Amino acid sequence: MSAQWDMMRELSSMQDRMNRIWGTMYDRGREDVSGHGAWLPPVDIYETADKEIVLKAELAGLKRDAIDLTVENNTLTIRGQRQPDEAAADAQFHRSERVFGAFSRSFTLPNTVDAAKVKAEYRDGVLTVRLPRREETRPRQIAVDVQG
Amino acid sequence: MTLVRWNPTRELASMEIDRLNRMFEDFVGGVRTWMPAVDVYETSDREYVIKAELPEMKREDINVTFEHNVLTLTGERRGDFDANNGTYHRNERYFGKFARSFTLPATVDGNRITAAYKDGVLTVRVPQREEAKPKQIEVGE
Repeated sequence: MSAQWDMMRELSSMQDRMNRIWGTMYDRGREDVSGHGAWLPPVDIYETADKEIVLKAELAGLKRDAIDLTVENNTLTIRGQRQPDEAAADAQFHRSERVFGAFSRSFTLPNTVDAAKVKAEYRDGVLTVRLPRREETRPRQIAVDVQG
Repeated sequence: MTLVRWNPTRELASMEIDRLNRMFEDFVGGVRTWMPAVDVYETSDREYVIKAELPEMKREDINVTFEHNVLTLTGERRGDFDANNGTYHRNERYFGKFARSFTLPATVDGNRITAAYKDGVLTVRVPQREEAKPKQIEVGE
């Protein structure tokens, strides 16, 4: 069992490295990512029409209180630990694809994000973090009178 | 029926190749398909437990069927990202349809299957038929 975990970790870190190599194409190089742990939960980051940044992390099977979210020095970090079922401890496994253990993923936030207004909710195994833009960085429409 | 010795490394290897292929497909822009991770185990009281990671799904979008001893999980997940008005910075999650099937032994009781969805994990429990459970037989004189 432990051999599989190592393999997955190896694979995950390889994917991470490849992502970095392909960074400009794959991620547009907008945020630095450093992740480590037995598993790397998949994360989507997108910007909405009103310039809010939304981060969604798949943490299926985690309890709300097992998730630790911090924002410090423009770096958002999600940490947690997923424990296997107690009933599975003495079970005989026929297929084991899920990864358990600790994880940590960090993302560098743009300066335009208002760290004081970060909101997070956890529902159906997905952590959603909403990062609104600072008011002063919002694009403003300036009307210019053209006089002729 | 020929009995084939279960080889965990072979199973593992095929699974890893599958994941690797997906990874490379990502880079070359191939079609991405969602394959949710699944654990299948047998508890000490010989119940089969199937756990599938299906985060952010609606209960009604998950289908569980059992036919000819094959348990099939299907469904579809749509993201709330609006491609017309938003920009992706990072896209690691899969959306769309998925289908996974598992053959269970003939000794399971298809009439007593239960399924529950919690914290993004679907848990299907398939008990064994009573007559298939091991019995302690008293040895008489």
